[in-house]
Amino acid sequence: MNPKALWSLYLPKWGATMQVAWSNLLVYRLNFLLSAIAPLVVFLVVKLSLWYRVYEGAPSALVGGFTFSQMATYHLWVFLTSLLVFNGNATKISEDIRMGKITSYLIYPFSLWEFHGATFLARTLVQLGIAATTLTGVWAFLSGQVHFPEPHTLALGLLLTLMAAGFWFWANYLVGLIGFWMEETWTLMVMLQILAYFLSGSLIPLSFYPPWLQGLLNYTPFPAIAYLPARVLMGESAGVIQALWVLGFWNLGAALLAQLVWKKGLRLYTAAGM
Amino acid sequence: MIQASLLNKSFRIHKKQPGFIGALGNFFNREYHSKPAVVDFEVTVRPGEVIGLLGPNGAGKTTLMKMFTGIIVPSAGELKVLGQTPHLRSREFRKQIALVMGQKSQLWWDLPALDSFLLLQKYYEIPKADFKRRLDELSTLLGVIDLLEVHVRKLSLGERMKLELMSCLLHEPKILFLDEPTIGLDLVAQRNIRAFLARYQKEKGTTLILTSHYMADVEALCQRLVLILGGKKRFDGKIEDFEQILGNNKIVAYDFDRPLSTEDPVLAPFAPVWNEDRTRVELTIPALQLRELSQKILKDYPVVDFHTEKLPIERVMTQLMDRPELL
Repeated sequence: MNPKALWSLYLPKWGATMQVAWSNLLVYRLNFLLSAIAPLVVFLVVKLSLWYRVYEGAPSALVGGFTFSQMATYHLWVFLTSLLVFNGNATKISEDIRMGKITSYLIYPFSLWEFHGATFLARTLVQLGIAATTLTGVWAFLSGQVHFPEPHTLALGLLLTLMAAGFWFWANYLVGLIGFWMEETWTLMVMLQILAYFLSGSLIPLSFYPPWLQGLLNYTPFPAIAYLPARVLMGESAGVIQALWVLGFWNLGAALLAQLVWKKGLRLYTAAGM
Repeated sequence: MIQASLLNKSFRIHKKQPGFIGALGNFFNREYHSKPAVVDFEVTVRPGEVIGLLGPNGAGKTTLMKMFTGIIVPSAGELKVLGQTPHLRSREFRKQIALVMGQKSQLWWDLPALDSFLLLQKYYEIPKADFKRRLDELSTLLGVIDLLEVHVRKLSLGERMKLELMSCLLHEPKILFLDEPTIGLDLVAQRNIRAFLARYQKEKGTTLILTSHYMADVEALCQRLVLILGGKKRFDGKIEDFEQILGNNKIVAYDFDRPLSTEDPVLAPFAPVWNEDRTRVELTIPALQLRELSQKILKDYPVVDFHTEKLPIERVMTQLMDRPELL
């Protein structure tokens, strides 16, 4: 099948699934508003005030090579990239497997990964809107204190983030599929989440870490979740090309592994409760 | 349509002693064993047939349905549905089947059913004009036009089941699998679903495979029954033959205007079952003697009412479930 035919075959299905995901998001209005606002509140109340205490009222002092203003900018970008990346739903996937709720997607001519992929994409796009609104608000509020990147830098940062989001989707999906073997996967998910926070530079910039660990992390997709896009958006693009290759490799590897795990796991599926 | 040969399915299960100690023991030492759910099952289903899969809970009916639809993988044996191997789940195969699950909703709980239908239109690649025509046709037939835009969570079980059915028929499947489609419904809702299915099947010639514990469903819809006991096929034939599986007897109940003697010599040979106050008797009468004996009872006894049993297959089922060795 040629790419045009594939596009016209799959686009309506993905589009319709995304529309349903958006409709579901908007059903409970308060829930939606809270989920949109909560990360910003956490960012302002926890992260910024914490780092302010670290600098102890001396904003021009250097901590790990960052002034307070640079550190705040770094964490603003990290906050925005994490909005785009961390949209997975692994515990829901494994619960659906355990409770036999994936049955419908074994009957429909639309795969479970496609359904979750489209839902993930829908959520990422919503988060993109929230991130853009937050960024505009912060930029207007700080009136020039945050340096706004050039369009091509912004595009590069966004590309890195979206590829990292792709990896995070597959990682989440894989953990969810472990539900074929394990009754509960939330501990695995929490472990992966904590690992990602530490190794991506979400908590502290990776430049705080020993050089050997930084070198090792360059071959993993984690820095692309937070550290690399934040640095790119702050004007430093060293190592981006390698990161794109690394991300491409991990995305492909995780996608192939997910298909393999799906095939193996499905043989164990019992469609409980039917 | 469906061709199963020496089909087997076993599940791997482990047992756990009750309580915390049991949980602890189970944590360190878990013994698994294999439980056969379907054993050497053979069946051939022709296009347009309506087949009822009967059997008690745990007999293997639903496991068969799951294998037929490709949801689970058989442990052994051959299975072809529409010429394809179901568990390979090709898109072409999935576009030609549908599964109605009485105990599981396939509609989006927080959205109106129409949103789910529009999603299914894309999944099944139904052209817009066909979709609109089928939507109008089915919603009129099922009387749910006003419910299409109501959130699914606000609907009654009967209303929801009608919409579940609609969602499964929009792509006009060649085979419709129905797993207890009337479970939990009130009598009117059950009757409506049955009437709709019968009419739809007649019009479209769809092959229906039904499991239900309600014999009224089976009697109203199925021409052929397959009985499964302990994972094995024990009967496969016409519904009329199933009714006579334990002999060609008719069960007739007579109501009298006063108590009678339970020792009555005329009634005694026909295995009479009396009610508490001896005003009602149920007799098992060989078909050949039915006319003659009934005339005699109506003439000589103070009969105020009488009727033959409504669902003979229910009686046969009950007896076979109690005593499978009768087969």
